Amino acid sequence: MLDDSRSAGSAPDAAGRLRGHRLDMDGVRVRYGQTLAVRDVTLSVEPGEMLALLGPSGCGKTTLLRTVAGFIRAEAGRVLVDGAAIDHLPPGRRGVGIVFQSYALFPHMSAAENVAYGLEARRLPKAEIARKVDAALAAVRMEGFADRRPRALSGGQQQRVALARALAIEPAILLLDEPFAALDRSLRLDLQLEIKRIQRRFGVTAVLVTHDQDEAMSMADRMAVMNAGRVEQVGAPAEVYDRPATAFVAGFVGTTNRLPGRIEARDGAGYRVRLDAGATFAVESARGFDIGARVVLCARPEQLALRDGADAPDAFPARLRQSLPLGPALIHDIEAGAAELKLHAARHGAPPAPGPVRVALRPDATPALFPEGETT
Amino acid sequence: MHRYTGSDRLLVLLIVALAGIGFLILVGPVLVVLVTSFTSSRALRFPPPGLTLQWYRDLFDPVRSSQIHVAAGNSLLVAALTAIVATSLATAAALAIARTRAGWARFAEGGFMAPLVLPGIAFGLAALMFFSWLRLPPSLALLVAGHAMIAAPFALRTVGAAAAGLDPALEESSAALGAGPWRTFRRVTLPLIMPGVAAGAFLAFVSSLDNVPVSLFLASAQTDMLPIRLWGMMETALDVRVAAASGVLVAVAFILLLVMDRAVGLARRMSG
Repeated sequence: MLDDSRSAGSAPDAAGRLRGHRLDMDGVRVRYGQTLAVRDVTLSVEPGEMLALLGPSGCGKTTLLRTVAGFIRAEAGRVLVDGAAIDHLPPGRRGVGIVFQSYALFPHMSAAENVAYGLEARRLPKAEIARKVDAALAAVRMEGFADRRPRALSGGQQQRVALARALAIEPAILLLDEPFAALDRSLRLDLQLEIKRIQRRFGVTAVLVTHDQDEAMSMADRMAVMNAGRVEQVGAPAEVYDRPATAFVAGFVGTTNRLPGRIEARDGAGYRVRLDAGATFAVESARGFDIGARVVLCARPEQLALRDGADAPDAFPARLRQSLPLGPALIHDIEAGAAELKLHAARHGAPPAPGPVRVALRPDATPALFPEGETT
Repeated sequence: MHRYTGSDRLLVLLIVALAGIGFLILVGPVLVVLVTSFTSSRALRFPPPGLTLQWYRDLFDPVRSSQIHVAAGNSLLVAALTAIVATSLATAAALAIARTRAGWARFAEGGFMAPLVLPGIAFGLAALMFFSWLRLPPSLALLVAGHAMIAAPFALRTVGAAAAGLDPALEESSAALGAGPWRTFRRVTLPLIMPGVAAGAFLAFVSSLDNVPVSLFLASAQTDMLPIRLWGMMETALDVRVAAASGVLVAVAFILLLVMDRAVGLARRMSG
């Protein structure tokens, strides 16, 4: 019933699914006083896709989300839905549904009244509102709690009502601002799976802001890793994990071991790297390095292994401090000169005794190389 | 277990003594007035030689106390209007202050709270001079304006506390769901700060009802106010109806206080 078809959100198709909408951020720059919170970010979210904005606190991910929502005005750049700029529209006319970290349910209204709020603001007929409220609550399996006040709901239930409220207005874009931060860890995975399922079923384009890499990994189709107002890498979670584009991404997504060294020679599609710890590794890398350049080799805990044999040239000496069981795996806590390393190994038999060991790269491992100065 | 030392005991004793003296000074005179209002003597005297309801009958007699009734009507009307005006202004100010971290907000808050420490006599005189410079004749409207100045800080305090406790995401949520500013205020903000608003309105009402210094300057023969009329009756004759009127005021204030505390937890809000 809105005069503007775009801000009216998505019309369900024959199968009851929402038509996915495309979201583009084009050179978005946001300034708070003297500091640039978001530095010329260009990102696209495909129709029906869930994109995670992942980064440490203060990296600008929430600011970017709030700019898309319309709470913050960008200094430069544009936000587009289906190719049309929405920068001039107030939040309520952008066709965005938001789930806040605090859920922001209206405490003086029942679950059903909360869900009806956006529909009433759109002045839909009463019968239609009632129908859509029932459908939205059913979609999040909260139909039995329609008359409860938020105070009488658990955190997970409140979150589902907040999701129902955001989806009831049939938004073009769903924005999720750290939606799981306030929940118990044990509840999170269940709700992540459920929200992911609902998002898929509705076919709604979604942006998820989180500082939790596991959350981004498990929910997002693609993730954009942000640092200091910039997007450092965009890609599928596995791709970002396996091939971090920057030293920051390597350190922030997953655990990484940093081994300083020097480029010794070119070697096929990469380089031979002489580590300061005392071994030479062959590492594939698409980046250009000069011979003799200082580099940092970033290896995942599962890319390194303990090696028997006194002086294999492709292993360096280190000292095993302790080994801790972590579910099916074993974590080796290792000291190699100034560096502290973590190694993942399968757990079978008794753990090795602490003392001198040799550390090598697994044969199939693809660690990343970065210039020394880039490491943070 | 913590053991009380000698100085601990002394401190406790001191606090109890001070609280007792404070209680006596606050409540004692009220009790004296209440007892006096039932005196059978023809003048204000304590302790009363005998008890009677005579003075309450006189007070409510429409003929003998018509002037008091006119003044009371004016006072109630001005207090009600003051409550509305002061609470509306204070609500607008409190919401604006709660929504910004800018330096001017702290400055503005200080400005709004200033009437609390400004001597009422000085403000009353200033208001009188200001209004007569504008060539405005004395009226109930001017009394409301003057009282609202004095009463607004009370409302600002309670509404401000309620507004500060409001999650900003609630109003953002409302806006994102398509509600305009007016709908957001009516459906979300106002219901959530309502206890603070009601408490503020009550405090504004009471502070207007018993205001003397501002009324002294701004009231005229046509706009007689109850406290001024009572004062006048005291000056000319020690009329016992003054004590009876005080008794009625104390009783009304006490009942209102109980009602408000039950409804919105007034005591908690004033300390917050």
